[in-house]
Amino acid sequence: MLKMFACAAITCLFSVAMTYAADQAHRVVVYDGVASTVAASADASADLWITMADLKKATGFVVKPQGVCREQLCFPLPKAKKAEFVLKKGSTNWFNLSAFARLVKQPVARDEKNGVWYFGKREDERSTYLASLKAPNFTLPDLAGKTHSLADYRGKKVLLITWASW
Amino acid sequence: MPGWQAFFHPLKDKNFEIISIAQDTGGARDAAEWINAAKPEYTALVDDKHLVTQLYNMVNVPTAVWINEKGEIVRPNEVAYVDNRYKAMHGIDAGPYLEAIRDWVTNGDRSQFVMTEQERKERLTPPSPERAMADSEFALAEYLYKNGMGADAIAHFKEAQRLDPANWNYKRQAWALSNAEKDYGTSFMKEVQKLNGKPYYAPRKLPEGKRP
Repeated sequence: MLKMFACAAITCLFSVAMTYAADQAHRVVVYDGVASTVAASADASADLWITMADLKKATGFVVKPQGVCREQLCFPLPKAKKAEFVLKKGSTNWFNLSAFARLVKQPVARDEKNGVWYFGKREDERSTYLASLKAPNFTLPDLAGKTHSLADYRGKKVLLITWASW
Repeated sequence: MPGWQAFFHPLKDKNFEIISIAQDTGGARDAAEWINAAKPEYTALVDDKHLVTQLYNMVNVPTAVWINEKGEIVRPNEVAYVDNRYKAMHGIDAGPYLEAIRDWVTNGDRSQFVMTEQERKERLTPPSPERAMADSEFALAEYLYKNGMGADAIAHFKEAQRLDPANWNYKRQAWALSNAEKDYGTSFMKEVQKLNGKPYYAPRKLPEGKRP
């Protein structure tokens, strides 16, 4: 009974979300620092549901039988809770990007007014260098726009100095 | 920056590089004047998303990291002034640190200033969940600011500051993009005064009595 009620509540919430989306058709998802406009499906106060096509476009991840995967990386979805992540509505499959962020411990900031969602670094990405003591790599431009990566300087001692104009 | 150019010049052929990175949301618009004035022979980059602040868990500028030939961190984050212009404010003498860098350039991993693995591991800690969330709030605020939603960015800059109150980068950058008194009810100098004598930078530890 409780399960039926929960399912009905989820369906109801989703219907509300779909109605809301008709008024606010799009969201902006910033993922790995890159902004993508996606079709909206949820109320701004609820989780962010996006289509599978938008999931691939905005994040590079796709849902496979073994989990949510990108190249060699794969995060299995908890079987008992799969409905929290994936939902079919009509002919469209939707994915709960907020629930996925919680699963992989990814900090998410959102601005409801402007419909912008920022997905930060997953927990496993945030501290990979600590065990190896390897300096995290980055690629940034100089004033001429030419990009430089820290890895390009391997073989030299590097004094990394941050500063600011402010 | 001219100070770092003067420091670097005699060392530039010693298999040593300085990579200086401006942590400026305004990017080249704000950083170019300083870089051009220094005419650096070293690598000067611009980081308009504060990526290095996030990647290295930094909270202040100037902050330096020593990285050896193998790409390993041999001295993690620490304050790095090239001269004593602001010494009256923070009390940090630049001289011993510059001498330590010269020693490292000459002696590499054998330098007495290279930290042991144990010391490095103690200093390199993973970002707290609050810091990770602050990074996302700050990045969202930057996105809003850069895309014409600057007024809406302020709440997210404030949230980043609340989540990671020791992070001066997140405070000072936000204040610089705004009228700090009007939008944040404070200013850099007011906040420094609130420290009431506590050090503005985390204390730097160079080996005692081993100076070159």
